[in-house]
Amino acid sequence: MHEFSIACEIYEQVMATAKEHGATEVKHVTLQMGRLSHTNPEQLNFCFKVLAEESIAKDADFIVEMIPPSLECDCGYTGKVDEKKIRKNCEFESELLAYAAVMECPACGKPAQITGGRELIIKSIEIETEDQD
Amino acid sequence: MLMHVIDMGHDVYKANDKVAEKNRKKLDKHQVFSVNVMGAIGSGKTTLIEEAIRQLKDKYRIAVIAGDVIAEMDSSRFRKLDVPTIPVNTGKECHLDAKLVEKALDEIDLNNTDLLLIENVGNLICPVDFKLGEHLRVVIVSVTEGDDIILKHPMIFKTAELAVINKVDIAHAVDVDAEKMRDDILSLNPKVPVILTSKHDWESLETWISFIELGVKEAQNR
Repeated sequence: MHEFSIACEIYEQVMATAKEHGATEVKHVTLQMGRLSHTNPEQLNFCFKVLAEESIAKDADFIVEMIPPSLECDCGYTGKVDEKKIRKNCEFESELLAYAAVMECPACGKPAQITGGRELIIKSIEIETEDQD
Repeated sequence: MLMHVIDMGHDVYKANDKVAEKNRKKLDKHQVFSVNVMGAIGSGKTTLIEEAIRQLKDKYRIAVIAGDVIAEMDSSRFRKLDVPTIPVNTGKECHLDAKLVEKALDEIDLNNTDLLLIENVGNLICPVDFKLGEHLRVVIVSVTEGDDIILKHPMIFKTAELAVINKVDIAHAVDVDAEKMRDDILSLNPKVPVILTSKHDWESLETWISFIELGVKEAQNR
């Protein structure tokens, strides 16, 4: 469980940016999360809420956009994994495992290098500021 | 009241990766070969590191970073072998990260180090996402964890550069097929070298140790 330390980093970054822009309230925090990262969005949201309890971000909602894995292959292919194949593999209970099992190049079928899908990006925040006269 | 959307684009893991790159450059500058030893609790990380120290300490200058929730216990095992050891308490955290290693590196005399062995916290999940700046990522798995353990934790095996299946001498007793474990690792990561070890089989330990020694030699020729 490392969601708490990640939530700390997100909280610090969000609060610094909010302060810099004169926010009176943080409404939304939008995250982009790679499907292969070992981070649980619900746990992360819970940890953030605990940290933000007495701050201007206490009512902030998390919006999480998932990023599919991307690949690079010796044959020259760069791009996403074959989503159709993932659906075929859905007897796997874990989505992570389903993705890991199909890290083959959609062009030549050989195992490919994972180049993306493990990110955790604070994409943007939505804030409220006082009216400026 | 006015609403604004502020773009941030701050990647939490990339922030760690940047510190890891810095660590790597520092180690390269001093021609130190570093190994990140990952694996579950009880897989034999400490024991295999001890064996490597015993066999290599007369040839090379070794230092150890021992990461654990309470790091002092493993550290005292390494210190008994007369190698400088930095315990890194992770407290509630389940993994080492690049910042913790950066701090530990400040306490190591890198000018007088050829090999840095880093024992990560016992865990097959969290260490995957945090690079440390290491040259070799090793995952140690023991037969006692059951032969379905690999497919349950695909990412650590997919990103490992060396996989060790340990305690193979008791595979039969725990009703586990070590060859199935090897096949599972190769199905996830076909290029990774897989070695089978037991602390009671000297030849198997030699394979593990020669792997590390190869890296040290390469680092010295860089």
